[in-house]
Amino acid sequence: MDLSSVFFIGNIMNLERIPNEEKLSLCRRYYLGGFAFLPFLWLVNVLWFFREAFLKPTYTEQLQIKSYVKKSALGLIVWVAVLTTWITIFQHFRAQWGEVGDYLSFTIPLGTA
Amino acid sequence: MNTSDSEEDSYNERSALVQSESPTIPSYNQDHDMSLPQETDSKRRRPVSSGLDEPGPVERERASTPDGEEEELTLKYGAKHVIMLFIPVTLCMVVVVATIKSVSFYTEKSSQRLIYTPFEEDPNSVGQRLLNSFLNTIVMISVIVVMTIILVVLYKYRCYKFIHGWLILSSLMLLFWFSFMYLGEVFKTYNVAMDYPTLVMIIWNFGVVGMICIHWKGPLRLQQAYLIVISALMALIFIKYLPEWSAWVILGAISIYDLIAVLCPKGPLRMLVETAQERNEPIFPALIYSSAMVWMVGMADSSNPGSADERQRNEGRARAQEGVESEDDAAQGGRRRYSAEEDLEEDRGVKLGLGDFIFYSVLVGKAAATGGDWNTTLACFVAILIGLCLTLLLLAIFKKALPALPISITFGLVFYFSTDNLVRPFMDSLAAHQYYI
Repeated sequence: MDLSSVFFIGNIMNLERIPNEEKLSLCRRYYLGGFAFLPFLWLVNVLWFFREAFLKPTYTEQLQIKSYVKKSALGLIVWVAVLTTWITIFQHFRAQWGEVGDYLSFTIPLGTA
Repeated sequence: MNTSDSEEDSYNERSALVQSESPTIPSYNQDHDMSLPQETDSKRRRPVSSGLDEPGPVERERASTPDGEEEELTLKYGAKHVIMLFIPVTLCMVVVVATIKSVSFYTEKSSQRLIYTPFEEDPNSVGQRLLNSFLNTIVMISVIVVMTIILVVLYKYRCYKFIHGWLILSSLMLLFWFSFMYLGEVFKTYNVAMDYPTLVMIIWNFGVVGMICIHWKGPLRLQQAYLIVISALMALIFIKYLPEWSAWVILGAISIYDLIAVLCPKGPLRMLVETAQERNEPIFPALIYSSAMVWMVGMADSSNPGSADERQRNEGRARAQEGVESEDDAAQGGRRRYSAEEDLEEDRGVKLGLGDFIFYSVLVGKAAATGGDWNTTLACFVAILIGLCLTLLLLAIFKKALPALPISITFGLVFYFSTDNLVRPFMDSLAAHQYYI
């Protein structure tokens, strides 16, 4: 009985053990998935593949993985900026907006104007 | 055998213990490691139905033994593996207790009851209350048994798609709906204004990344974190919606059921395990908490140890179903696998079913909610950890899947009631009289 195919059991802990093409494919999928309003996915992508992309000796797919990680990081920064701006605006002007503010609110704090 | 040398040395004593029994053990060498399915029921809460998690057994993955002549069984599990389980169990309990203590929503008694605990507990009459809690327990346990049997039947008749879909639906509900509720309550407690767009973004991200991590591929740590979080969420729901006395009786009854279902030859969970072994296949995307990744080489006659913990949720309630993880360590499979895996690093950890997390947390959470002070909570916490330790020890000795609930829950219940009724008044009067011991 020879070693046939290698199976991934569900989740991957150690990126060491999977072949490079799989790594690339995974990175790409995470990158593409992030476009569905999922900056968290991009964050996971960056954190998970950071070492692979930047701290490892070069291998063929590493360049592409690097580009995906960089693009994910960029997207993440953009999203963080957008969200921070929106949250700041909302928190600051919520009371002044009157009805619109209430309509947008999920929880309204008690005891303040 | 893929144990490291140092590990092997430390286990020599235990191996010796096992070896003395070796005439009967060899068949166990080739036994399957399994985690028994864990099933949850669906409960109905408002229009959303809920699931009750059933405890799953602790599974120990066994490395295959080397060629037949050598009968030494190296036990792979030691302190390291125990710690690897302590940490997530502790984290889950910490999350639950922290929430219980800070967010009052989960301790407020609601007038709604689950459909699975139809009998109301009347606080006025002790006898009536006791009777009703037993009746509630009977209803709940029978629902669980029925669900377990349905699962076994479904599995036997290969209705994989159905189970798969059910699983995904239930994790969807858990990841989105319950976390939405939870976030809402936390924001209300801390009096924070939150707007819908941000909230939608948060829940959407949390849920989708959770689905990806749990059902597909993702970093192990993140997956573990998600499993802990959803176990905590589930436990909180139970704490809120189970009536007081019924909860304690149900905890006890579940442990007994777990014991029966896992160990009896005709138990549904055991049958599930055996079916999976016969078919030599992994089951479903795993919802067992795994302390390490299993990296297996697939071979024709050795089954793929997919850790199979299925979580089935019905319209909203989590129905954690622990599928069977079968490693076919049958004689040929084991030996061949061993020889073929020599160059493969196996990093198997210990697996614990999510239902176990949930029920441990329910016990500690209830102790925190109703038990008076921190003494009780800590006592229950320690009791559960001790029980877990003992269970792992038994697992290392017996090398088969074991129910993880009975010992811990028994200890927990004993400690809870004795601390609440004996230790606490004692400590209180000591403190009142300023008498230090």
